[in-house]
Amino acid sequence: MALQPPPHEAAPPQFGAPSGSVPALQITDLEKSYPTGTKALKGVSLEIPAGSFFGLLGPNGAGKSTLIHCTTGLAMPTSGSIRVFGHDAVSHYTEARKAVGLAPQDLNLDHFLTLEETLDFHGGYFGMRKKDRKERAAELLDAFSLTAKKDDRANTLSGGMKRRLILARALMHRPRFLILDEPTAGVDVELRLELWQYVKRVNEEGTTILLTTHYLEEAEQLCDQIAFINDGQIVAQGTSGDLAKEYGVTTLEDAYLELVGRKELSRATLGEDVA
Amino acid sequence: MTEGQIRFLALLSRETSRFWKIKRQTLGAPLLETFLYISVFGAALGSRINTLHGFDYVVFVVPGLIMMAWAINAFSNNSSSILQQKFQRAIDDQLSSPASPLELLLAFSLGGFVRGLIISTLTFLCSSLLIDLPIEHPLVLIPALFLVGFFFSQLGVLVGVRAVQFDDVSFAQTFILTPLIFLGGVFYSSSLLPEPYQTLTHLNPVYYMINLVRYGFLGYTEADVALSLGILTLAVGLLFALNLRLFKTGYRLRA
Repeated sequence: MALQPPPHEAAPPQFGAPSGSVPALQITDLEKSYPTGTKALKGVSLEIPAGSFFGLLGPNGAGKSTLIHCTTGLAMPTSGSIRVFGHDAVSHYTEARKAVGLAPQDLNLDHFLTLEETLDFHGGYFGMRKKDRKERAAELLDAFSLTAKKDDRANTLSGGMKRRLILARALMHRPRFLILDEPTAGVDVELRLELWQYVKRVNEEGTTILLTTHYLEEAEQLCDQIAFINDGQIVAQGTSGDLAKEYGVTTLEDAYLELVGRKELSRATLGEDVA
Repeated sequence: MTEGQIRFLALLSRETSRFWKIKRQTLGAPLLETFLYISVFGAALGSRINTLHGFDYVVFVVPGLIMMAWAINAFSNNSSSILQQKFQRAIDDQLSSPASPLELLLAFSLGGFVRGLIISTLTFLCSSLLIDLPIEHPLVLIPALFLVGFFFSQLGVLVGVRAVQFDDVSFAQTFILTPLIFLGGVFYSSSLLPEPYQTLTHLNPVYYMINLVRYGFLGYTEADVALSLGILTLAVGLLFALNLRLFKTGYRLRA
């Protein structure tokens, strides 16, 4: 059941292409307060260059999902600006949202739809023509080894298959900017590694990727740039090595533990204790 | 076809495909319900009541049943569909698409509207096989039925958007919608009621809807046709404007 490599296309590019010097995502002073009074984002500024594989790490409740929701229109920012490939994601959302593919953390599949319909309707919501939708859905179902299940309803799938379908749906309209919100949460090791290979290939073909994950080795393996977010603020940004250096440690994991104030959990410390 | 048109058709197709997939529940059950009403009120009660304002009792009742079928199905379809999608968060797929608030609102509204239209049409066709149902004023009947259908579609959207649990939808349907429809004069003429019930009936907006539809079919009404049409149009407009505002602000849809 290995994931197939995405088929090559000459033009238009299958997963989009870098767009010169315009950043894929440019967030300036973004604030988000919920009606409950919770301030989820406190003036976040972030720039993700086109073509990069960017990791956003932080503890639960740090603001990762809120940042993603504001970018994709699922949450309304309180203030600040979000631009996707130069398009304002709030006032000119049509172009901004067309550029974004979202694979959310929740397995939010429509229980009434089959796998093929899930992809077909999604393509329709993004203005794809029927013929193109049909071809693209077949291509993605094949790439994600879901063709045999195409007429089954989405709610009958296993957790791993649902995760694949969510990723296929996010790629359906050929976004230039793919957002993966904890894409490997709850999947087995085999599928996790397959998904890593797949999204890496998607990135190599030109799609910018924003990844949030709690698996630090995932971020280390895949991302060329990583930002730490904590308490609604970006607190550090750089490569895995830069972050370790900034926190005066040797690994990304130790840097993360420093961030969340739990350095006593460091494997080095645990090793000493065991010894 | 423009991208906007493709988007809208896809959104609408999703709504119609939902009720089509569970048609035993969404189409079959309401049709059976209407058939039972006609049987009970036509065959059982009708044999005891000769005529009402010059019409056979069953003929007097059927226009209201056709309207009721459209109203209840439009409402329940939209309220349930939106709440289910909110519950599963599947609605995020539509909300994060480039679809505008207007496209989203129209698609969610028309899903129930189409379901109501299908059931009302089938009810009309079945009734026509059993009784001689005239259509005296089609130019009043068609806009009246469409306005009623659109009004209850909008009401369903409003309740679905506001709802946070399934109980909210069933509460609105059981304790507000059904009493309003039943007490609006579907099964009787308000002129037969003693005071203060007659006056109370006149405060029920559904009373004017039923009178419009009955006038369209039978040519008989107890309310002013032009005024009823005007008020119904205004109510549909206001409800649509309110819903559009909710979709634009993302009330209970976007965080």
